[in-house]
Amino acid sequence: MTTSAIPDTKSYRPSAEGLRKPTRSQMSALLAPIATFYGLCLLAPYVYIFWLSLTRYSSSQLYVPDLGLQNYVSILTDNYYLGLLAQTVGLGIFVTVFSLLLGYPLAMRIVQGGKTTKSILLILTMTPLLVNIVVRTYAWLVLLGDNGVINKALDAVGLISEPLPINNNFFSVAIGLIHLSLPLMVISLVSVMEKLDASLIEAGESLGAGSLRTLVKIHIPLCLQGVGAGSLLVFCTVISAFVTPQLLGGNRFSTISTIIYQKFTFSMNWPVGSALVFVLLTLNFAVILLHGFMFREK
Amino acid sequence: MFQRFISAIAWVAIIFLIAPLIIIVGSSFTQTDFVTFPPRGFTLRWYVEAMSVGGFVQAFFDSLLIAAATMAGAALIGIPTALGLRMGSPRTQTLLRSVVVAPLILPAIVSGIALLQIYYAAGLDAPLFGIIVGHILITVPFFIRTVTAGLESVPVSVLEAAETLGASKARILFRVLLPLIVPSICAGLAFVFIVSFDEVTMSLFFSNPEIMPLPIRIYNYIEFSVEPVIAAISTILILSAFVLVTLLQRIFGLDRVLAK
Repeated sequence: MTTSAIPDTKSYRPSAEGLRKPTRSQMSALLAPIATFYGLCLLAPYVYIFWLSLTRYSSSQLYVPDLGLQNYVSILTDNYYLGLLAQTVGLGIFVTVFSLLLGYPLAMRIVQGGKTTKSILLILTMTPLLVNIVVRTYAWLVLLGDNGVINKALDAVGLISEPLPINNNFFSVAIGLIHLSLPLMVISLVSVMEKLDASLIEAGESLGAGSLRTLVKIHIPLCLQGVGAGSLLVFCTVISAFVTPQLLGGNRFSTISTIIYQKFTFSMNWPVGSALVFVLLTLNFAVILLHGFMFREK
Repeated sequence: MFQRFISAIAWVAIIFLIAPLIIIVGSSFTQTDFVTFPPRGFTLRWYVEAMSVGGFVQAFFDSLLIAAATMAGAALIGIPTALGLRMGSPRTQTLLRSVVVAPLILPAIVSGIALLQIYYAAGLDAPLFGIIVGHILITVPFFIRTVTAGLESVPVSVLEAAETLGASKARILFRVLLPLIVPSICAGLAFVFIVSFDEVTMSLFFSNPEIMPLPIRIYNYIEFSVEPVIAAISTILILSAFVLVTLLQRIFGLDRVLAK
């Protein structure tokens, strides 16, 4: 055996990273696959869509490369699109608030429970999360339809003579989306409540604060980070959701997502569809920024 | 009194989450031609039908094929990226981390449309390939995150020992580092499989009658009818989800995974 196989212990310095600092070319070799993939399948498509959003719609040749902001201007000045925007944001707020109202007590109950209760409640909360979104939406179609389980049952006991209008409207889409987002909200809240210092709650109670007072003055403020994170997650999920509004809203209730889909597949108005894409993205980023601003790490 | 109130709402929330699923399971056994709950009579006819009509079995195998290809793609792209993330300077790491998660921040409906448009523009017509690319795009961030976590848990001393004993970089990589992170690669792949198998929005754009993953087959079906045969398929999927969650709770403990 030659001595060259034995490393020179004098010049050997353990590098903090374990593997010695990779050379530039090694690093590029490692990152080439993801750079190529994201470049071709993420960056290029979005740049192309942005370019499309600047073109002009033409019924005869799809789009005319006559670049300008006309699509954005028409969206932000047209009452139809402004209404659509308001409808989508309203839906987002409504679903977020209801997920919070239902999710907060559920998360509290999960955290307070003994080992078995906790386990059972967690399994029941998480199961819907792994059930395919189409199946979950189907369940609500079956329940809320004009001939659905709820209407049939109410009719059978004689409470109603006409089916309740609970399908293809704000209500049905909101219910489907709350079902979708509630587990997400609960996860965010549970992960914060798990780390909560129980002695602070006990201190509040032993100092004579009632349960409601303890909740409002101590528990909720301590969980505010979780509330913020959960609300952001739910709101962004809801305003970008597609399958649930499409199936439960039918042709009667639309959100930005379902209209984007329509613009690209049925009316073939790619320029306006693309502009709507960036309106939706801007809305998403605005909410993320707002959240970052409100819940800045101190 | 107050605790009771909290408990009551918690149970309302649980019932709200679970009742629709139970109604689907129950109504899949109905003898009627329409979905009804409580079911009238008991029959397994809809399960037999699910196996024979509507191409659901074919769609199941399409989904398996797509998930397998997605796993391969995510691994080929994700493992080198995770290594790069681990070895890069702190600045590279911060930058890479935020770039890697980009597909998760962008709405799937938007990424799907963007991908489809560039497909059109490039004159490509390969639906299966399109679905797989779309699936890799939304699963690769999960995969990279899991593998990076695995890499971070490998003690530096092990690598240094190998280095001191004269192992070349390639040898350290293939004989020491990669074998040590096999568990996290497997966990990452399992994650990719589950997400790909459930993915709807991306698949919707590229599917055609020849290639149609299971969720899209169901989607197309329920746009026009809510027959009990869908309830039967849904029941199978609901029960698999329940078993999966229960297993996860038994093995890892959901609360511990969440609290991390």
